[in-house]
Amino acid sequence: MAEDREAGSKAAGKPGWSEAAQHYSETRRMISVFVGRPLPVIGLVIIVLLIIVAIFAPLLAPYDPYKMDIINKLEAPSAQHLLGTDSLGRDTLSRILYGSQTSLIIGVSVIGISSVIGIALGLIAAYFGGLLYHIIMRFMDALMAFPMLLLALLVATLLGAGMKNVIIALAIGMLAAPCRMMCGVVLSVKQNDYVLSARAMGMSNRRLMLQEILPNAFPPLLVMITIGLGATILAEAGLSFLGIGITPPTPAWGGMVNDGYKYLMTSPVLAISPGIAIMLVVFGFNMLGDGLRDALDPKLRGVV
Amino acid sequence: MAALLTVENLKTYFHSYRGLVKAVDGLSLYVNQKEIIGLVGESGCGKSVSMLSILQLIPTPPGEIMSGRAMFDGQDLLQYEAKGEKMSSIRGAKIAMIFQEPMTSLNPVLTIGRQLTESLEIHLNMEPQTARERAVELLRLVGIPDAKDRLDAYPHQFSGGMRQRVMIAIALSCNPAILIADEPTTAVDVTTQAQLLELMQEMVTKFSTALVIVTHNLGVVARYAERIYVMYSGRIIESGLSDDIFLNPHHPYTIGLLKCVPQLGETREEKKLVPIKGMPPNLINMPENCAFLPRCEYSLERCRREPWPPLTQLEGQHYVSCYADIREKP
Repeated sequence: MAEDREAGSKAAGKPGWSEAAQHYSETRRMISVFVGRPLPVIGLVIIVLLIIVAIFAPLLAPYDPYKMDIINKLEAPSAQHLLGTDSLGRDTLSRILYGSQTSLIIGVSVIGISSVIGIALGLIAAYFGGLLYHIIMRFMDALMAFPMLLLALLVATLLGAGMKNVIIALAIGMLAAPCRMMCGVVLSVKQNDYVLSARAMGMSNRRLMLQEILPNAFPPLLVMITIGLGATILAEAGLSFLGIGITPPTPAWGGMVNDGYKYLMTSPVLAISPGIAIMLVVFGFNMLGDGLRDALDPKLRGVV
Repeated sequence: MAALLTVENLKTYFHSYRGLVKAVDGLSLYVNQKEIIGLVGESGCGKSVSMLSILQLIPTPPGEIMSGRAMFDGQDLLQYEAKGEKMSSIRGAKIAMIFQEPMTSLNPVLTIGRQLTESLEIHLNMEPQTARERAVELLRLVGIPDAKDRLDAYPHQFSGGMRQRVMIAIALSCNPAILIADEPTTAVDVTTQAQLLELMQEMVTKFSTALVIVTHNLGVVARYAERIYVMYSGRIIESGLSDDIFLNPHHPYTIGLLKCVPQLGETREEKKLVPIKGMPPNLINMPENCAFLPRCEYSLERCRREPWPPLTQLEGQHYVSCYADIREKP
């Protein structure tokens, strides 16, 4: 707060008034709130690492994740195989590194699809109201009535396994949350004077929705999207664990836990290491989301 | 000269769960070219609703325009959308409106420049670069210093008075025929108020725009308006040239209003401020006769028996809606 005031008076007193200086201080405040505490930073580091690993998996992985070596199966961690080998003799570390690609692709595409559709439907429902609102929101209520994983399970069973079908199944499962949130935010944002003002200046409905309302409704959505990414990766792991997610040869963390838990007594590292990977990534997204919320929410200004 | 905008018998009702609210109940007025009009009345008398009705900005439901016509440019605005035309081609381009709250009337996430150039691009099909130059010019006209730099500023970096200046610039950007200012100065302090009114007068003269000032402040219209409409519970109860209203008021409500405005140079002994007794009427389920009757000092037996008196001509442009024949110097 003190920083803001200082920047404001400096800017006002200066003859060549520069807008950038003052705008910068608001951005800087958000960054300082975000960086000021350890957890969001840890979250961010985990996510950045995840992205790097996913992109450079072919360079980082010591072995081909598909290459079987039956003679050396179920090996304990050693210098050759840092996390040992699985029941088919594949290198666990390589499979975990490649598995990050699967998780990230599924997480990003599921959240991409479900938030674009969800946000669009929520925006339309709240903006136009009336019958349209009731049709869309009752449909979302129906979706929400099922637990997310159960719904995804149902769709995945109907469509069969495979990455494309997992994405569709999870996207349907994740649709209701962004839609409901968007709808709620828009209902309050659209009451603002500047929306009426813009309407009185002859803005079309499309412009009002996309330019006046959407940017003002965005911060809570950003938080939801970040946390949703973690939830999606967890759900995908759940589906793969249950055997209706990613089809076997493709490395996926959930599937690896499923493979490994049969050998929990003899080679615990097989199930535990992908489990830790899942946990870290979900934790990372949640911390990142929390940090973003604290930084973006003006109501928390001065509290955190 | 034909009037620019003629509103006839406009009725806007709101359906509430407690009954029908007749917010605007048979309002008629006209606006000539380049004219400055004052629409005066207390809070809740339907001033804003009538102006919003003209631009079709009433939320429906619960609001509903029951009847009436709003002729503008040979077209009835109330039937405009029904005929397949887009109201958005009128709003901003032909009739612009500015609102009471400058603090919240600008979008907080868009720069001033973006909000100014937007309507130029929509209504006048300007190229972004030309629109930007025009925006700088407009900001300069409304008295924003450092206009070129301030184009990239956000609304939170402007004071209330400056924001209202920006609103005026936006509203006049497409050179509309009419500017409706809905309580434009209510939310700013008195010195800024005077500056803004001067500015608006200057701007509408420059742009040859007619101005409708909607206000509850008689002082605001006294100085600037050429003609004044006084509204009470959804109707015009007195209208006339500014001098008619201020020097020769005929409706008990107008007289009452003027009695509670202090005059400069009068001591307390010379003239006491007399408030109007009672409360503004509740607009739900109104009786048929004069809505001012319960508060009226001049009421006649006839007022109780007969429905709301029609607007009748006194002389020239001076119309009043009252059965009693009162002439009183305020």
